Amino acid sequence: MKLDFIVNGGPVSLETDPLRRLLDVLREDLGLTGAKEGCGEGECGACSVLLDGRLANSCLVPACAVEGLEVTTIEGLRDTEAYRLLERSFIAAGAVQCGFCTPGLILAAYALLRRRPSPGEEAVREALCGNLCRCTGYGMIVEAVLLASRQGAGVW
Amino acid sequence: MVGFYRPRSLEEALSIRSQTGAIPLAGGTDLMVQHRMGAGVPASFPAPALLIARLEELRLLGREGSDLRLGAACTLAELLEHPLVPGALKAALAEMASPAVRNLATLGGNICNASPAADTLPFLYAAGALVELRSLSGKRTLPITELITAPGRTILRDDELLAAVLLPELPTSAFFYRKVGTRRANALAKLSFLGLASISAGRIRELRCAFGAVAPTVVRRPQLEAVLIGKRLAEVEGLVPKILQGYGALIRPIDDQRSNARYRHTVALRLLERFLRGLFRAPEEGRP
Amino acid sequence: MRLRGRPQAGGGEKAPGGEERTAGTGAPLPRPDAADKASGRALFLADLPPLEGPLARTGLPPLEGLLHALTLRSTRPKARMLEVRIPPLPPETWIVDHRDVPGRNRVKMTCDDQPFFAEEVVRYVGEPILLLVGPDRGELRRILEAIEVRYENLDPAFSLEEAEARADSCLVSYQLTRGDPAAAFRRAAAVVEEEYRTGAQEHAYLEPQGFIGLTEGGRITVYGSMQCPYFVKSALVEGLGWAPERVRVVQTVTGGGFGGKEDYPSLLAGQVAFAALKTGRPVRLVLDRGEDIRATTKRHPSRIRFRTALDGRQEILGMEIEILLDGGAYSGLSPVVLQRSMFSATGVYAIPNARVEGKVLATNNLPTGAFRGFGAPQAFFAIESHMHSLALRAGREPLEFKLAHRVKRGEATITGGTFRQEVKLAEMAAAVEEMSGYRRKTREYEEARGRGSGPWRGIGISLFSHGCGFTGSGERDLIKGRVTLRKLRDGRVEILAASADMGQGPQAALRKIAARTLGFGLERVLFDNPDTDRVPDSGPTVASRTAMIVGRLVQQAAKELKASWDTAPELEVSRSYEQPGFVRWDQQAFKGDAYPAFAWGVNAVEVEVDPLTFEPKVRGVWGAYDIGEAIDEKIIQGQIEGGVAQALGWASLEVLEAREGRLLQANLTDYIIPTSMDFPRIQFRLFSNPYEYGPFGAKGAGELPFVGAAPALAAAVSQALGRPVRRLPITPEALMELAADEA
Repeated sequence: MKLDFIVNGGPVSLETDPLRRLLDVLREDLGLTGAKEGCGEGECGACSVLLDGRLANSCLVPACAVEGLEVTTIEGLRDTEAYRLLERSFIAAGAVQCGFCTPGLILAAYALLRRRPSPGEEAVREALCGNLCRCTGYGMIVEAVLLASRQGAGVW
Repeated sequence: MVGFYRPRSLEEALSIRSQTGAIPLAGGTDLMVQHRMGAGVPASFPAPALLIARLEELRLLGREGSDLRLGAACTLAELLEHPLVPGALKAALAEMASPAVRNLATLGGNICNASPAADTLPFLYAAGALVELRSLSGKRTLPITELITAPGRTILRDDELLAAVLLPELPTSAFFYRKVGTRRANALAKLSFLGLASISAGRIRELRCAFGAVAPTVVRRPQLEAVLIGKRLAEVEGLVPKILQGYGALIRPIDDQRSNARYRHTVALRLLERFLRGLFRAPEEGRP
Repeated sequence: MRLRGRPQAGGGEKAPGGEERTAGTGAPLPRPDAADKASGRALFLADLPPLEGPLARTGLPPLEGLLHALTLRSTRPKARMLEVRIPPLPPETWIVDHRDVPGRNRVKMTCDDQPFFAEEVVRYVGEPILLLVGPDRGELRRILEAIEVRYENLDPAFSLEEAEARADSCLVSYQLTRGDPAAAFRRAAAVVEEEYRTGAQEHAYLEPQGFIGLTEGGRITVYGSMQCPYFVKSALVEGLGWAPERVRVVQTVTGGGFGGKEDYPSLLAGQVAFAALKTGRPVRLVLDRGEDIRATTKRHPSRIRFRTALDGRQEILGMEIEILLDGGAYSGLSPVVLQRSMFSATGVYAIPNARVEGKVLATNNLPTGAFRGFGAPQAFFAIESHMHSLALRAGREPLEFKLAHRVKRGEATITGGTFRQEVKLAEMAAAVEEMSGYRRKTREYEEARGRGSGPWRGIGISLFSHGCGFTGSGERDLIKGRVTLRKLRDGRVEILAASADMGQGPQAALRKIAARTLGFGLERVLFDNPDTDRVPDSGPTVASRTAMIVGRLVQQAAKELKASWDTAPELEVSRSYEQPGFVRWDQQAFKGDAYPAFAWGVNAVEVEVDPLTFEPKVRGVWGAYDIGEAIDEKIIQGQIEGGVAQALGWASLEVLEAREGRLLQANLTDYIIPTSMDFPRIQFRLFSNPYEYGPFGAKGAGELPFVGAAPALAAAVSQALGRPVRRLPITPEALMELAADEA
């Protein structure tokens, strides 16, 4: 099928199998490898993207479902002020260890702070519960998101 | 062979469904996992996919007379954000999967997937929800209890689509809900319990109890509820053993990779007992 | 050092910032690899080859004609393969099996008993039989499903008890003795017998395992996610039967390891190498998550039995300890895991007479291997819980009892070595008591339980240690680590070492050590993911040795480089490991200094058990750690917080069961690791205790934090329920049964 959609602000048109996972379209057809495969079943969040601004696991989304939609990946986010703030916060808080979960977590944090600029710790933990991390135990990640929230005047 | 259909209306969707037996695909959060083929390989459905996520007729959410219509293609996130959705349903939705999955997963998908552990079902059974099934020949409305017959099995015909859930007005907004998952978030239920009760002038006016993940389908038994309805609160304590025994016979959980039958059975009844004792605020049960 | 006496951030405290910070080594610096990882620029194995972006950074040649590989795996736990029927293969599709192994079909590890590909007999469900290699993954899946294997079932063993009953199941067995246990038991007024069991654990690193192999100019190169490039290289040399110069191993950015990528990568690397050789094309093998869980190594399940001799006043006269580990189908690293668990058998206690018998038994479960702690977590769960039990028996408060038996500086280790450093357990315990309110709470919770009222709460405490570095003279005799520092023409310095960053931070830490020693800023020091063509063998990234051993070599080389800096525009300095003079070790008798240094820890865990559902909810975690000195406080904090979460997962969430050798929890939906909602943040303090042979005083820190959390949780649950906890994981199902037991 012919698929027309928007990736990171730019139009994309390609020929693909309708049930090809969005994750594979992004990684293999478009070379956007920031979204990762950690489980293939919507459990770990390493494949997180924004679909029309909402957090989604791209391993669960068939290509045919994204016709006309806007997909934002970490590659699309990384030139924004919001991303730079999140990256600074993650690094300052020591929240990046092996890094495999990090792009997905940054997207989840971005999705949270956009809707709720000043969440408390509980709300942060809830918002991140679909992103698994095995290295950090989450504490420094939560700290990073709270830091980005506190320092985000005018950004969120 | 055509891999998918993108109908522009419910009518068109029904027409395609009746002609081809295409598989309704909304959020895909169950189907894309069940039919996955690994990295780089498209999912393999046994029939073409019928994309219904964007059909407006399946996404209506609002009052219809005294009922509340919940469109089958409403996502769990949308239901969580909507002011008309009852608190008891939101309690179940809030503990389902993760924020990202809730942005895709739909009410209709959760119902039609018909897992014994489906989290929306105990509420829908307790609420006496009806399901509206549409086909080219018209519509039929049934109690949800008739829709699901066994794990993964519904009586949805090959030419039908689940269009909406119709929720009658609830007798009360007070509820007791516990889901025991494999961890605190992003977890499947080992078991769950929902209790609704309406009390006035010292009597139980209405009582609903539903258990999830402890039998092939949700356990609800109006005959047992009727034992307490109309009773004064002071009488409830004496009836608790009978109620527990009644449900004890109906709850038939299994051993599986998440938990075991003994635990599920015991804890389900403990939750029920807590709910019932909460009605007349009995003192805490003792220690081991 | 300024960290003494002040709690680290955690549990809601404000993050350090705006405080007076000294310019000590420990002050955190931004990790140099973090920005690339956060932005998605860092390329993990499955991200290669990139369609866009600079290939040159990876040094990867164009992967023309890249083929994918899928693995055919055994579906039987123990069987003879009578026939493998392959359907007709389309063009460009190959089978690679044991007949395609040019050298020895054995994966070089501590024991070389595991084949790259099964030959005649399969010994576990998931054992690799062959690779199917071709250009299209969908096609490969269809063909794989069409392959038929005819098996003749043999007689498998699954439990330790089943294995024990067989004459030929012992893979390795050791004994060690201290003092005169026989005499102690003759004098005993009472003997206490207890048994402890722990379950398997899956690493669940977020990045599944994968490799790419290719031939270039008569050589084999493999790229992959790994902890030990030189382990992989030696395994390839054996498997290919080639000279080492013809083999090159390159570590790609590795998404977590925890020991799970210590030995298994050697098997995968061999498989892709043989496939690349046979097909003449690059071959890519990436495991999907379900396959990774079902096929790779696990933590050793354990059964540990105590017989403890007590005198008339309930004092400990001696202990007989039996340790049984499930080795799974092949030995792998089991001998060393067993050794460490045996050396940890009496924990931090001065037990004058002890006999430890250890065995690893072969079963037809998944082969077990390295996992953070490496046998110590199992042993510490047992000894800490046993000491807790002995305390209660003697009517004494557990922490007071444990501290009364602790080892002190100058005393002997279980192997007759010496604790050369100050043992700060008493101060550390006092700090944990203060932070957690242990003293008040433990009294309160005991009383509440006695009255039968209030929530089911408990608080538990553990004392633990971890021997840093390779056991005994392994560093000197087996590893012989070597590091090179190179002064570049532009004045920058490059570190050449084989340490693999899997998230634990050597990229940052080793550069920091060099920079600080040279007096440079971090940006002047380079350190790339190791490529065996470029770096000497500084040893595997295991055993909490990277900062202490490799970091020390970096420090020494940097000192030497600094001293000769002006002598030439380009310079190279290498240092090889020299065992500290005080280490004496007899590997045959297990006598002497098993480890050159020890790291120490104290944990408290507070729990509330839900009276309706028996779910244990962790309400607080506190810790004190002596890791010598922190090279970087944030890296240490990351190891502590991550290690504790992973250990609490092992202790209470991570159920891994098998039926007839087939895993029941074989994906991330069913294998339950902690989410952000499951556990609170640990509050902890570091205690300075510089080790003279560690860089800036550092000892090992990667594994220690894992060791203490499980026994502290178990003790807390025991208090909450008034029942002893003798098994891990502590699930609600298990607690329901425990609560129902009459005491």
